[in-house]
Amino acid sequence: MKSSFDKIYDALRSVKLAVVLLILLALFAIAGGIIPQGKPADFYRDRFPGAGSDIILALDLDHVFSSISFLLVSAVFVLNLTICTFHRLTGEFSKPRGKRRHGPDLLHLGLIVLMFGGVLTARTRTETTVNLRKGESATLPDGAKIVLVDMTYEQYPDGRPKTWESTVEIHESPSQASAAVAVQQDTRQFRIRVNAPLRRKGYSIYQQHWHTEKQVVLKDPMGMEFSLEQGMRAAMKDGFVLFMALDDASFSPLEGSAQANTSTPETSSADYPQGAVFLLEDKGKRTVVRVAPGQSIGPFTFDGYIDQSISGLSVVSDRGYPFVVVGFLLVMLGIFITYIQKLKGVFA
Amino acid sequence: MIATMAFGLLILSLIVQIVYLFKKADKQERVSPWLSLVAGGLLLVEIVRRSIAIRFVALTGIFESLIFLACAMAFLIFALRHFKSTKDNKVIPFGATIIALIFLALASSPLAPSDVKPPVPALQSGWLVLHVSFTFIGEVFFAVGFVSAILQLTTKSEEKRWNYDRVTYTSIAVGYPIFTAGALIFGAIWAEKAWGVWWSWDPKETWALITWLTYTAYLHFRLVRKSTSRLVPALVIIGFAIAMFTFLGVNFLIKGLHSYA
Repeated sequence: MKSSFDKIYDALRSVKLAVVLLILLALFAIAGGIIPQGKPADFYRDRFPGAGSDIILALDLDHVFSSISFLLVSAVFVLNLTICTFHRLTGEFSKPRGKRRHGPDLLHLGLIVLMFGGVLTARTRTETTVNLRKGESATLPDGAKIVLVDMTYEQYPDGRPKTWESTVEIHESPSQASAAVAVQQDTRQFRIRVNAPLRRKGYSIYQQHWHTEKQVVLKDPMGMEFSLEQGMRAAMKDGFVLFMALDDASFSPLEGSAQANTSTPETSSADYPQGAVFLLEDKGKRTVVRVAPGQSIGPFTFDGYIDQSISGLSVVSDRGYPFVVVGFLLVMLGIFITYIQKLKGVFA
Repeated sequence: MIATMAFGLLILSLIVQIVYLFKKADKQERVSPWLSLVAGGLLLVEIVRRSIAIRFVALTGIFESLIFLACAMAFLIFALRHFKSTKDNKVIPFGATIIALIFLALASSPLAPSDVKPPVPALQSGWLVLHVSFTFIGEVFFAVGFVSAILQLTTKSEEKRWNYDRVTYTSIAVGYPIFTAGALIFGAIWAEKAWGVWWSWDPKETWALITWLTYTAYLHFRLVRKSTSRLVPALVIIGFAIAMFTFLGVNFLIKGLHSYA
């Protein structure tokens, strides 16, 4: 007569339980695959009026893969897989060496390691996006500094993207940046592009996106040009000029607004398809003004636009991924061994 | 043009098979496997031609995917004649030829534009090539399992049911590891390299997992229910339907990371 422990052990390692759990996991995944995930409750009430949305929200089908029921079934599945693997492995080791079949054991073991990696990823993965213009820098998680040296964006003739590539410099010792020798020794240049991330100890840097933004070019009274991105300001005596937005509306130049200290250029408005909106603060008085290229704003002259390229890099730390890779290797090895044994048996 | 020629050869192969299906002779005809082989060769030439044009393995669009599937299917139809469990069977190659023709018919439809387009940066990866090719080769074996499972469910002869079960199981046993490597492992490695996340519950990923879970359930269920259960082959039929939904349905009905595929 079997003890209660044996009965529970047998039930937990049974293939029938594995099949039930696999079907349950598939059903959860189907729900998650059909119902849009992670939307606000109102979205489901609009899309599935009446009982449909009530059921979805009550059963947590709006976030299936983080719901208690899905996690519980997954946990039982891992338990089933672990006990089954242990039981099978001990059984195989009791057989003569030539008759052992370790393919399924390795495959099961790989899946356990893979799921452990998955849990670790879900709990510890971090991702930060940094948007860099050429010459700009950001601090990385280990204290190193990343500087965008150059970026390449190529398009196919039909306009689709062909290459996104950022050339970056990594300064390993930002604290010693003032020492030229140390900088030379600790600075290295790398290329990051889609599908070729930069791997660093503990994290990786990915080319995530690329875009351009328009910046206004201003000329100071000395004739020196400088650019301002949206939201940035240029200081002047007793105030500042802040670039607020592009003005896409058909532009009619302002006529001698004293507050804006503008002057009307001797050209027609058709020459100025696009203006810009600035906030001018002068001696504590703030004014919003629309300016066309060639007009002045405060002591500056609005000289036009430049397109500034911005590289979006994501810095990802995922402590689970090494386990995932080990899991994959074990699964592949298990598959390979099982495959060879199957081929021998089936096609003999 | 080349794909049209391959389509014509497969139609011819189908006609030859239909003629022999209605003949009571036990002897197998020898023409249709060779027609399939030549059709597969032509489709391979088309894939190589497109690959040269875009300077990358032409597996990045839906048209190319369908051509690849039909090509792999045509080669497998030829190979079926050489496997012990299928060499005398007339119906399985017939069913497989119909599936290959459906793939080619879909490739010629407006759903699959045939423009030769080089890949966008995210698709320029060797892992993508492994991911797509292994997944499709696995699915081609699933297709044979699908045909065999239908026959297993419909036949009244116990002996034939046992034979079909063997073919179904063999097809899935061979296709499953290839599919696992392609759809899940290589796909996850590619996603990690391209986007920094190896699993994101993207609709295509989720449906590929559903396909994998269904075939995993089949392989385990068969261990406990053997060949007498009708539910066992039903899982294979459901599995193939899900695999095809993952490939085509998700592309057109659900937006996600794979929307360009």
